[in-house]
This record gives sequence, structure tokens and C-alpha cells, in this order.
Amino acid sequence: MTMHCTMDDLVAVRDGEGSVSARRHVEECGECRGEMEALYQRVAQLKALPALRPARDRWHVVRDAITAERARRRRWTRAGLALAAALVGLMVVRPLLQSPLLADELAQAKLESAQLENTLQDADPEGRVVSGREAELTARLEDQIALLDGRLGQLSERALEEGQVVDLWRQRVDLMQQLVQVRVTRANYVGL
Amino acid sequence: MTLSLTVPDILVARAKAGDLEALEGLYRAFETPVYNLARRICRAPEDAEDVVQETFLEVVKSIRHYRGEGHLWGWIRQIASSKALMRLRREKLRATDEFVEETAGSPPASLGARIDLERAFAHLTETSRAVVWLHDVEGFTHEEIAEQMGRTVSFSKSQLARAHARLRRLLVPEPEAR
Repeated sequence: MTMHCTMDDLVAVRDGEGSVSARRHVEECGECRGEMEALYQRVAQLKALPALRPARDRWHVVRDAITAERARRRRWTRAGLALAAALVGLMVVRPLLQSPLLADELAQAKLESAQLENTLQDADPEGRVVSGREAELTARLEDQIALLDGRLGQLSERALEEGQVVDLWRQRVDLMQQLVQVRVTRANYVGL
Repeated sequence: MTLSLTVPDILVARAKAGDLEALEGLYRAFETPVYNLARRICRAPEDAEDVVQETFLEVVKSIRHYRGEGHLWGWIRQIASSKALMRLRREKLRATDEFVEETAGSPPASLGARIDLERAFAHLTETSRAVVWLHDVEGFTHEEIAEQMGRTVSFSKSQLARAHARLRRLLVPEPEAR
């Protein structure tokens, strides 16, 4: 009984990877040559299938995402500058925080805030498809953080003495946690 | 499928600079081939539309890193296939795949022996369709497919052979099928 080539053999021979015996068999066996020809024809027909076109235009979604991202970058640039100013200010006036407890709490809040910023950056959530509600929530949280950074940059010495700076940093941590929840955790949940 | 996939260099340069009109120009030039690739892999048209959207968001984000080596379509196609395969993984359709393959073992009478290639192709599992389309139509290597799918080269090769065997059975009347 003649052992014809399997489809694995035929595909391998077509792709130049078949065994010597399989190649020789295809050359000598009319039936397997016919199968090989049918394989070539199927692929040619697949390549010739008409292009499928989307029923809906999604450009407006992409454009809106680009616009939103550019606005977000502008906000973060402003926020970054404000935060840098705040950090410089803190370095100058840190001795005003007399209470070791307050100083520890401040250091802890700043550390948590930085870790959350890193989480956000590492997750690289840009370019993902988000719902309108999530996009709105993200924008609102980013605005609140930017506002908070602005206040941190304008604190008076008295506010520092009273520990207000610690409260503001705690608020910043809280907002950052919400932002990570929206932009990272939810995206991971749906596997994006 | 005959589509012009060449865009002027100046359009690419403007897109890299962030020009919104140029980015739309790229979208218009490659929207159909990206959708076609995604639609051949994804079962639902809405999923393919999402792939188009995700692909172009990635293109916008990364185009400044595109150095003009190779055809732009090759670069965009890589992103599109990655997004489409990611979607397959995300939806965890492999379990469903097995079910589809089992039930598709005996084609419904309405398909019959005259089932055409397009319908036969649509009858394959998502994984099989992805491998056949990416390898035989788009020209990806098994190594590239395996990497994008997170599987082995052997898996890609065996999927391709199984898919062709299945296509053959669907297209050729049963007594003649090997």
C-alpha cells in the first residue's frame, strides 16, 4: 500500500523544510502532486479574497485620544514643574518640621507617592481603549493632582509648621491611588 | 486583495512630527488592510474595529521610533497582528476554540460540499485562522508567529498543517477527502 504524504509533509515540502523522502514522494506521486497543487491554489485564493472593510470609522476615537493625551501631557508638565518647586521648597524649610513624627509621615507619604508614580509609568497605560467614564474620571483625578501640586508649591512657612504639608501629601497619595486604580488596575482586569 | 500600501515620505515625516492631518492620512491609508488582517483573525467585526483603533493608537504613540527601515506597512502590520493576537489571548477563546473545532468536525448540511473558501476559512478556529493568514497570506515566519502568540514554532507549524487539512476537508466532498 502506498503511503501518501500527510498535510504536515505537504506544508513542510512547500515551505522548503520537508524530508528528502517526502520531497521525492511528491515528485513521483501524481496524487500527492495534485494535493500540493491544491494547497498552492488554496493559498492563492486566500490572497485574492476581497479586502474586508470596517463598517464604522474609528478615526474620531483615535483623534480624540491623541488630543486628550496631548492635554494630559501639558497638565503633567505643569504639575511636574509645580512639584519640583514644592520639593525644592521642602528641602529649604524641612528644618521647620520640628516633630519627628510629622517628618516621618511626610517622608512616608512622599515615598508612597513616588512609588505610585512609578507604578503608573511602568504599566504604560497610554494608548489603551478606555470607556468615556474612565477617561473622564482620569482627567478629573489628574486635574485634582495638578491642583494639589500647585498648592504644595505655594505653602507658607506657617502651613509647614502646622503640618499642613503632610495632609496635602497624604491627599496626593490618595488621589494617586485612585488614578492607579482607574488607569492600571482596571486595564489589567480586562486584560489590556 | 489589491490595495496601494505606499505613502509619501513627507506624510510619514509630518506624522512623526505629530501633525494630526498626517496621522489621519496614515489612518486612511492603512485602515482597510489593518481591519482586513484583524477581521480574518477575530470572529466579531467589532473586535476587528477595536484592533484597528488599538493599532493606530500604538502607531501614533510609537511612530517617532519608526526609522524608515523596511516598508511602513510591514511595521504597522506587526503592530496590528500583535494587537489582534493579544485580543485572542485576552478573550481566552482557546477553550471555545476546542469546542468550535469539535462541532465543526461535521459541517452542517447547509454548508455542504460547495462551501466556498471564505466560509470554510471562517469555519476554522481563531488560532488556526491567525496562523494561516499570518503565515500564508501576510508572510510572517513561524518564528514571528510563535513569538507573537507566546507559543512554540512547532505549535505554529502544526496549527498550519491542521488548518490546511481542515480546509481541504471542508472544500472537497467527503469521499474524495484524504
